[in-house]
Amino acid sequence: MNLEECRTVFATGSLILMLIVAAPTLSLIVRFPGGIERFSELWVLGPDLMAQEYPFNIQVNSTYNIFVGMGNHMGASSYYLLDVKFRNQTQPLPDTLNSKPSPLPPLYEYKAFVKDGETWEKTLKFSVLEALLCDDSAFVSRISINDVVFSVNVSAKWDSEHKGFYYQLFFELWLYNLTARSFQFHNRFVWIWLNMTV
Amino acid sequence: MISMSMLKLLIVSLVLSTFISPIFVLPAHASGQEMASSVINQAEDVVASAYEAVLEAERAGANVSGLLARLNQAGEFLAGAWVAFRLGDFEEAARSASLCSEISESVKNEAGEMRVEAYGLRVKGFWLTMTGSLVGVVAVVFGSFVGWRVFKRRYYMRVSRMKPEVSSGES
Repeated sequence: MNLEECRTVFATGSLILMLIVAAPTLSLIVRFPGGIERFSELWVLGPDLMAQEYPFNIQVNSTYNIFVGMGNHMGASSYYLLDVKFRNQTQPLPDTLNSKPSPLPPLYEYKAFVKDGETWEKTLKFSVLEALLCDDSAFVSRISINDVVFSVNVSAKWDSEHKGFYYQLFFELWLYNLTARSFQFHNRFVWIWLNMTV
Repeated sequence: MISMSMLKLLIVSLVLSTFISPIFVLPAHASGQEMASSVINQAEDVVASAYEAVLEAERAGANVSGLLARLNQAGEFLAGAWVAFRLGDFEEAARSASLCSEISESVKNEAGEMRVEAYGLRVKGFWLTMTGSLVGVVAVVFGSFVGWRVFKRRYYMRVSRMKPEVSSGES
């Protein structure tokens, strides 16, 4: 190796060493655009905190427990609103293609602040307090969620294909938008099917 | 024994009170609703600004876990206020919203203090890191310069100590 080649090796080595030494400061100044996907999770679990044994065949005055939870991967602490809604098979669900929430009014709601990378989970206790069942239709007039009683007045026709009076308890996730200073539908919802029985 | 005129008067006053009472009760109900609505909206604003303050503190590098736990408590009160409001329990709605505002206000103030503290620590840390890096770079430049000079000297010495070899020509 001649002197010129040695000088090149020396200069390159020094430059690499300088970059290593300056790396902590460079990391504070230079921000590389990250390809990290920002999203939120939303789930509903059964009474034993597993994705099984969800309440399905429900009766008047029986109490059922489920868990609702969400996870924040938005890169910063987020402020969420979780609306609890109740519907029959014909009433509208949220339209995730157009990011539109269900027009049904919320019954119960949760407001939660979740740190980035963390999760939030709550138990939800519900029961049907008043319902009428006829031959081909059912009518649920009052339900209780976490001991708060709501008048719902939702009827359901007999589903001959699946053999039942089907209702749905669903959860819509909303995210607080700092720019708009209001909650916006976060395009996520989960649900459980309920079959009203005698 | 009640006379006929007294009885008539009683019936008339009963009928009148039946029609007049809603005039007084309805505005009271409406004002309760308005009051609850205003307290809830105020609580919404306070929670939102507390959340913003917490986010700023978080961006400055503060540990906001404790503040978020308290904001969650405030959020529970606010959600409860909305549920009570929709059910027509305006008194409970206003009470829950007031509790929410109280907690959020204290969180907001604390978040502001934490942000200033964290920002100061961050600036200090930044300068410390920058000074460290600068000293390191200068040390590397100086070390490289000295190292190169030593290497070059040794290289020339080694070259100068080499004896030229004379090989016999075979032509």
